[in-house]
Amino acid sequence: MTDTRPMSRRDFIKSQAAVAAASVAGVTLPASLLAKAQDQAADPDIRWDKAPCRFCGTGCSVLVGSKDGRVIASQGDPDAPVNRGLNCIKGYFLPKILYGQDRLTQPLLRKWNGKYDKDGDFEAVSWDEAFDVMAEHWKRALKRSMEENKGKSVDEMTSRVGMFGSGQWTVWEGYAASKLLKAGMRSNNLDPNARHCMASAVGAFIRAFGIDEPMGCYDDLEHADVFVLWGANMAEMHPILWSRLTDTRLSKPGCEVHVLSTFEHRCYELADNPIIFAPQTDLAILNYIANHIIQTEAYDKDFIDKHVQFETATTDIGYGLRPDHPLEQQAANPGVGAKHPSSFEAFARQVEPYTLEYVSELSGVPKENLLRLARAYADPKKKVSSYWTMGFNQHTRGVWVNGNLYNVHLLMGKISEPGNSPFSLTGQPSACGTAREVGTFAHRLPADLVVKKPEHRAFSEQVWKLPEGTLNGKVGYHAVLMHRMMKDGLMNCYWQLCNNNMQAAPNLNEESYPGWRNPDVFVTVSDPYPTVSAQAADLVLPTSMWVEKEGAYGNAERRTQFWREQTDAPGESKSDLWQIMEFSKRFTVEDVWPPALIETAPEYAGKTLYEILFANGEVDRFPYEGKVMDARGNAYRNHESEHFGYYVQKGLFEEYRKFNSGPDIIKKGHEMAPFQAYHESRGLRWPVIDGKETLWRFREGYDPHVAAFNPEVEKGDVYFYGNANGRANIIFAPYEPAAESPDAEYDLWLCTGRVLEHWHSGSMTRRVPELYRAVPDAVIYMSKDDAKARRLRDGQMALIKTRRGQIKARVETRGRNRPPNGLVFVPWFDANRLVNKLTLDATDPLSKETDYKKCACRVERV
Amino acid sequence: MNICGCVVHTHPGAGADVAPRLAALPGVEVHAGTEADKLVITVEDTGESLAADTLGSLSRVPGVINAVLVYHYGGDEAAIPVA
Repeated sequence: MTDTRPMSRRDFIKSQAAVAAASVAGVTLPASLLAKAQDQAADPDIRWDKAPCRFCGTGCSVLVGSKDGRVIASQGDPDAPVNRGLNCIKGYFLPKILYGQDRLTQPLLRKWNGKYDKDGDFEAVSWDEAFDVMAEHWKRALKRSMEENKGKSVDEMTSRVGMFGSGQWTVWEGYAASKLLKAGMRSNNLDPNARHCMASAVGAFIRAFGIDEPMGCYDDLEHADVFVLWGANMAEMHPILWSRLTDTRLSKPGCEVHVLSTFEHRCYELADNPIIFAPQTDLAILNYIANHIIQTEAYDKDFIDKHVQFETATTDIGYGLRPDHPLEQQAANPGVGAKHPSSFEAFARQVEPYTLEYVSELSGVPKENLLRLARAYADPKKKVSSYWTMGFNQHTRGVWVNGNLYNVHLLMGKISEPGNSPFSLTGQPSACGTAREVGTFAHRLPADLVVKKPEHRAFSEQVWKLPEGTLNGKVGYHAVLMHRMMKDGLMNCYWQLCNNNMQAAPNLNEESYPGWRNPDVFVTVSDPYPTVSAQAADLVLPTSMWVEKEGAYGNAERRTQFWREQTDAPGESKSDLWQIMEFSKRFTVEDVWPPALIETAPEYAGKTLYEILFANGEVDRFPYEGKVMDARGNAYRNHESEHFGYYVQKGLFEEYRKFNSGPDIIKKGHEMAPFQAYHESRGLRWPVIDGKETLWRFREGYDPHVAAFNPEVEKGDVYFYGNANGRANIIFAPYEPAAESPDAEYDLWLCTGRVLEHWHSGSMTRRVPELYRAVPDAVIYMSKDDAKARRLRDGQMALIKTRRGQIKARVETRGRNRPPNGLVFVPWFDANRLVNKLTLDATDPLSKETDYKKCACRVERV
Repeated sequence: MNICGCVVHTHPGAGADVAPRLAALPGVEVHAGTEADKLVITVEDTGESLAADTLGSLSRVPGVINAVLVYHYGGDEAAIPVA
């Protein structure tokens, strides 16, 4: 019987929702529902346009529905190769994040009696007043740096100003920031929050392959026979990729999934070989697999002979703590990254002690599970894709453990082809596109160039039209070092944009907070919301977010994606790009460069940094027609271009392309398409050659660079052109213990990380009213035995303590994260759970990335 | 007012068992997909639960491997008749 009641808008939307879901699932809907949906044409008042999601590094494309200047609907983009119409639960929050109740709408400055005062209360101020006060502090610090750098070579220059950026910045925001800090202010103190997230992955890519980012792509998810998860909770953190993996596992005969972690999480529901290992022993497990491959002579001899070179790492390298820390004093080679030539035979001897018996004992993993894992890698007929995220990267031996996995893939030649793929997943939407490719790290310049190399600086100076010797050759302060330098009064101005480092950085009590509140330091935070960071700052700048600006992100599979400005930001909010460019107008070249340098470029005398860096004939090259049009005739605003009078994003991107796509570039392999191509596609994976993207790098037939570098290459063979000799490096690195392990006093491992509820609990809108009065309602995931031994019940409040601090939290023994005895897991991205009061600022000495996964703690009844 | 369209993947053969468990959640309607083990559902706000909370609980339902969102409407005027 047909329902004759008038359909409400609610029923209509519900039918639309069901139809969208059914078409993505390939499922037929009941005729009655279909009829309901078809009775109505799609809502003509909603304007739909694509945009990449702004949460994780997967890079799903989302259709954003706007009406009357407000985003009201979203849908997984059916035309997107990444997510094929799917959208994860986090996507639900995409429209919502724009409209939290406590969005900042005006600059806020700490004042007392009408004047800036570090101990004052926040008062709303104009952009002019905000930038005046900020520039005054920055000029004073820059002047001090200029005095301190007198008579020094560029390789010895230091700076008292720094900026902390983001893997959530758009490509052009990162690029503009790099220009302002590195080219304008001659400071290399620019680092992204991606330092906390994937610096170890970068380090290993450069050490093994000489070029950053994965060789494979998401298409491997349909080609692999075996999936191995190493410290990645894909089910919760990368649900769309997990969904593709699940489809392959359930539909392909013989497909198997191995899951490794230090505690059981949701991925274990699909695991054929579930493995829980003792923290830090992943290093040993990988060396055992290498040993197994060699002992059983399963390795690909031909591949090794032609494409691999053996090296060995410097060992006993410390834990990246302050130099006076006992652990650094005890280390034989603190911070030494040098590697030494080796051979297959020497490598075989080095991994030989990692026997099944020894590693099973060390890791606590039953022998049969280890053997099953090793056999999967060693089977020449099985295609293996390995995935990892923070478990590998947030590790005091993060570069090593990434490298040990490449060793396994390289021994078997299982790399750079469909299904055989060691793949570093990313946590942020543009950790690759912005932080890594633009190079907003303390040691990097765009397109894999580095500040240390004179020829790289010279090339960058030429692109940026700077006099020779402008760029600073000394590596700047990385994320963790910045806080130490602020605490020590050696860095006096700090601008944090698009992240929440007061909450995210380790050892809050001893380093971050004392640094930020040091009276000799002026802290600016740009954010849409009053985060923990904003509340600890001296000046807060309101920021346009996501589709409130035109943007570009680069995801984990090298895919660059663009979006247009969909809606206005509230109040006086402006994008980080606007803020960076506008702030540059406050400085004349005399404020930042010494007279001797200006004399070599007299045309720059008296000019502002804005004129030198942005109105430079390149960035301001493309006119702005008053609106941005799409191919369907829709018009969009662009608030930065309106303000500056030219198409800002296009100018910045085309200048950036001179680093990765120009005819005279130093490092090939990062080529990108012209600006407009990205607005007209669902993204392209670099290198983009003649308009064509590259799915698998380093292999003839997929990557055109291979034949260009090695004209003699055989059909379908590989050539690792990132290294001058065309070979990838197998680098031996041993198991070395964690910086801090449980002992009699602090008897449990503390592992921190994320859960899906982070988004679910609305942490973008829920704020702690005051930093040191955090509501103690975090959750401590722990085993039932450990809880019982401490006379704790499920749901009971407990005290969790380390040598650095303590927080109160509720005990959870029945959640979906099920730690083994001896380990507790506490989520860290929640403003109410400042778990970084507990963590240790031990970092990988090579990548400077913090190990958030391992320190010693104690849990007590309150 | 929030209305979502989702696909819920279940363990092989478990679609028919999982469907009533999902339907028992507040604001959930199962429309199709039990044979394919890919359930097409809608989730909406109810007096007792916001769609966001329900979405978060989908993956904790026994037999569910993965839940993905496809469509989300979050406008205010969903109660107004179309015609």
